[in-house]
Amino acid sequence: MDETLTDRAPSREGIRIGEGILIVVFAVATVIFVMPLVMMFFSAFKPTAEILRVPPTLLPQAPTLDNFRTVLTEAPYGLWYRNSLVVAIAVTAMAVFTSSVGGYIFAKFEFPLKQPLFILILITLMIPFPVLLIPNYIIANRLGVLNSLLALVLPGMVSAFGIFLMRQFAAGIPRDLIEAARLDGASEWAIFGRIVLPLLRPALAALGVFTFLASWNDYLWPLVAINDLDKSTLPLALTFFNSTHATRYDLVMAAATMAVVPVLAVFLIFQRHIVKALVLAGMR
Amino acid sequence: MTFVATGLIPILALFVIFAFAPVGIVLWLSLRKYNQLAPVAPFIGLRNFEFAFTNDALFINALTVTLKYALVAVPLNLLIALPIAMGLNQVTRLRAVFRSAFFLPTVASAVAVSLIWRYVYEPQTGMLNAVLATLGLPQPSWLNDPATALWAILITAVWQDLGYNILILLAGLQTIPDDFYDAAKVDGAGAWPRFKDVTLPLLSRTLLFVSVLTMISYLQQFTYVQVMPSNPGGPINSTSTLVYYIYTKAFSNMQLGYASAVSVVLMVIILVITLIQFRLLRSRWEY
Repeated sequence: MDETLTDRAPSREGIRIGEGILIVVFAVATVIFVMPLVMMFFSAFKPTAEILRVPPTLLPQAPTLDNFRTVLTEAPYGLWYRNSLVVAIAVTAMAVFTSSVGGYIFAKFEFPLKQPLFILILITLMIPFPVLLIPNYIIANRLGVLNSLLALVLPGMVSAFGIFLMRQFAAGIPRDLIEAARLDGASEWAIFGRIVLPLLRPALAALGVFTFLASWNDYLWPLVAINDLDKSTLPLALTFFNSTHATRYDLVMAAATMAVVPVLAVFLIFQRHIVKALVLAGMR
Repeated sequence: MTFVATGLIPILALFVIFAFAPVGIVLWLSLRKYNQLAPVAPFIGLRNFEFAFTNDALFINALTVTLKYALVAVPLNLLIALPIAMGLNQVTRLRAVFRSAFFLPTVASAVAVSLIWRYVYEPQTGMLNAVLATLGLPQPSWLNDPATALWAILITAVWQDLGYNILILLAGLQTIPDDFYDAAKVDGAGAWPRFKDVTLPLLSRTLLFVSVLTMISYLQQFTYVQVMPSNPGGPINSTSTLVYYIYTKAFSNMQLGYASAVSVVLMVIILVITLIQFRLLRSRWEY
């Protein structure tokens, strides 16, 4: 999406100067814009005394790793990290799998009640999660999964949006390709695994990124479903530092930095793909 | 056929358990008095709703806060995102870099963002008041002042979401053919008419999509509101949104029936606004 439109403006000096000004404006604006993140990062290296200084400093005067050490040793931060990874990976794997199976079936098969079932699934897209908070809590309680990581994985195993997205993509797969494999005697699951899944890959990547981020950053549902510290995920854990060390922003920022920076780094490395994926996901 | 059955039945079962049944349960509970500790949930008709709208000042407050918040945040978000997207559309070099910079907060967890901005807003040690002080401007106590707390949270939310809308709007702008602008220029149209008569109408579908999505998300704010203020609900409940109210009613006061009724109100608001917004934008900018 970057290479187009270079020829819109006729190449005159005035236009080029205009673009130069725009670039300067954007450079200044983006530096100001990302400042809170920069501040989080630098604050994580500040000693307690410096974090309380008035007026605040931007760069740490005497950088230290003490905050990270405290966060990692005085709290089960590693366990929280592991919990978050386990949940996000499980949810992503399951949602990507069920969405591609579901999307493929709705795109390429005929069966009774197909249309009504698909519309019912789409309708769930219009119901915001907070509305379902109480019933999901009651159901998780009945299933006996409250206060376990399973409670965080189960509701995320299917995605109405995922099924919709995959159906759009699966619809474009030529029927002949599937029929040919069928004539060769391939089983339906083999066709799905060897022909359909590889063709869905770009959309699967989009859905995967989307799902992983949503799960990794989720707060409301874990807040309700999880009680024990050793079952917590990172977003819950971050508020732990906020409440037990009310003004210990040094620790809060170190914990936040460890939770956020890896995600930002992965985003920056794969930003081209991820941006494409998100536009794709957003455009539906 | 067995493939369809084995593939689809587990998926549908999960939808039944975690989507269809919950909708049924929330509607059912909204008509009942149900305390999690009580063994029964007696049917009380619409009395939960009646109580909410006639006797519960905290519910009315949460409803007002939520609507006020969404009605300010959505236009604010779009008024900032659209010029940035249009500017990025004109820039050829470094566009991906700028776009990524604006997008970074979107990837971060809302809890981390809440904590970062809580620190930014600290009256004494925070970055924002330090900047205001050097500029000689007044330094409010942001999250501790009922007059500013909600707007401070709103700015945080817009900051975090902006990149996503910029991304979608930029993608929309890039689908507008150059010919339209060239034709407008030949007709002698200036920058404003070109924006008003070319960009805006041709971007209407994207604008519709972005505004509906943003509105829906701003009607469900919870994380910032729960994490940022030091006292629950913010100063004098000035930041208590509907979702925050549902959360406290259900999980602090254990009034699951009443909280379900409030959930139903939120669901209806979101459905109605979605439909109205679709109608409005469709009729005005059809092309």
